[in-house]
Amino acid sequence: MRQTARLTALLLRAYLRDRIALFFSLVVPLMLMVIFGYLNLGDFGRVSLAVDDQAKNDASKQLLSLLKGIETLQITEESTDEALKRLRRTELDVLVVIPKDFAIAPARPGQTVPQLVVYGDDARPQQVVVGRQIIAQVIDRLSFAVTQTAPVVAVKDETVQGVRLRYVDFLVPGILGVNIMQLAVFSVAFALVGDKQRGVLRRIMATPVRIPNLLAAHVVTRLFIAAGQVAVLLLVALVLFNVTIVGGLGALVVVALLGTILFLTIGFALAGWAQSENQVPAIAQLITLPQFFFSGVFFSKNAAPEAIRPITNLLPLTFLNDALREISVQGASLWDVRTQILGLLVWIVLGFVMAVRLFRFERF
Amino acid sequence: MPPVVQVNNLRKRYGEIEAVRGISFQVETGEVFGLLGPNGAGKTTTVEILEGLRKADDGSAVVAGVDVFADPSLVKRRIGVQLQASAFPENLTAKETVEFFAACYDLDVDALALLRLVELEERAGQRQETLSGGQRQRLSLATALVNSPQVLFLDEPTTGLDPHARRNLWDLIRGIQSRGTTVFLTTHYLDEAEILCERVAIMDEGRIVALDPPRKLIDDLLARGFSKPVLRQRANLEDVFLDLTGHQLRDA
Repeated sequence: MRQTARLTALLLRAYLRDRIALFFSLVVPLMLMVIFGYLNLGDFGRVSLAVDDQAKNDASKQLLSLLKGIETLQITEESTDEALKRLRRTELDVLVVIPKDFAIAPARPGQTVPQLVVYGDDARPQQVVVGRQIIAQVIDRLSFAVTQTAPVVAVKDETVQGVRLRYVDFLVPGILGVNIMQLAVFSVAFALVGDKQRGVLRRIMATPVRIPNLLAAHVVTRLFIAAGQVAVLLLVALVLFNVTIVGGLGALVVVALLGTILFLTIGFALAGWAQSENQVPAIAQLITLPQFFFSGVFFSKNAAPEAIRPITNLLPLTFLNDALREISVQGASLWDVRTQILGLLVWIVLGFVMAVRLFRFERF
Repeated sequence: MPPVVQVNNLRKRYGEIEAVRGISFQVETGEVFGLLGPNGAGKTTTVEILEGLRKADDGSAVVAGVDVFADPSLVKRRIGVQLQASAFPENLTAKETVEFFAACYDLDVDALALLRLVELEERAGQRQETLSGGQRQRLSLATALVNSPQVLFLDEPTTGLDPHARRNLWDLIRGIQSRGTTVFLTTHYLDEAEILCERVAIMDEGRIVALDPPRKLIDDLLARGFSKPVLRQRANLEDVFLDLTGHQLRDA
């Protein structure tokens, strides 16, 4: 414990002195956020949403008026046939079909719950995601209004009122996720392979240092850096972009740290596997780049081709981004994202096993 | 005093190459012992086995009273090492580097006092990677001394240093010996061995081919009727160099 703390203090001091590493762990993520967020490169404007109200009752009118009150949505009413045609021509993002039996009432045993059918345009996945999220929240709100047992009506209500999803709100959790990945994988891999190549690890191995303590010091150092990085990014997101973070900051930090540990194990495995410093960027890119594009950083993860989605949905960064986004955008609790947390934990175990098997202190 | 290093029939092979072919020797407490030999003679392999960094295939080795094969970790506690071609963690100052190694031994040390010992006190706050070659070797000595070792292993400590820095390092090594530390040195500089070592073992192709005080080895050679074909020079180029550039260490 004491040994780990002493080693961590020194490694942390060294890390903070390393201007290049700091640049990559703070300036680059900020740049990404500013470019994509401030210049609104990924802005999709509004979500065009058609409603086919087949029920035309009080409940459906209530739903419709709530949807109309949300400025992100551009609402038209049209028949399902007509709307599906326009949807296929990418003139429309989302179609919501309100069934004839639509009602907002507590479900009774044995009775089927009325089902809203939501069609989304495959070509515009971000808009579809936002559209679906908004509808889900509006439904939640309506449901809570009639469910007497709902304990948190007021809080939930506020959440729905605050639904003004902009691209940057969607973007920030993704940026957090991708930077956690980059920092952990690259900083550990570069540092350790460099140390291995220059003989630093060999020199350290000539001391009776306890290896788990040394590795723990490297991990804790990066956890500190990652926590700082997350704090700075969130601060800038809040101040500069007025980003809405619906969920709890605590939950966000917990998931971020889990993600850091996960990608650190991958970084250690990579450092063990790579033979020289030159191989690190190539291997690291091979690991991170697909996740960069397919794990929902800048665009919805559904932008990935359907055929590979079963795989992309299981990528470590997908779990991390989904969890961060659901907490940040939808106000999910840690319990709500338990599936993603489970995914992260499974990856941590896999990464740990790989790291232990692959890590060597010597050059070969 | 029992010998501080005792090696018996040590063997090590890497695939087809037999790097160490059954060597035996001992190092007396308090002496400076030199292991000499051309590149590839098996010196570094031998030393790394004694340091607990490599496993031997056969034989036994007791260092500072500990069976190296049975408890390499305890050996590491009792010895100090300077490895050939090793480096320190980046972005640490000289003082922090010493502290880092103290932390590796889980010991509290007076880092400044150690730096003073190797004449680096005024560089305490300087990043280690910006130190000169000689300064870095001295820092390396300081890190090898954090645990007050019984035996100090130095693997080619003066390789790549200029004549001033070499002489300065020799003085430091003598100083360390005079405080009771046994020094185990490998080198391929024979002048270094002749000046520093009480006894030397000469290694070639994995075997020890001679083991005696340097003076005795020379006398034996002369007794065998050897004589240099050229007249002995009264000074050499190194003497000229030192005379022209001064005997003071430049980089301190």
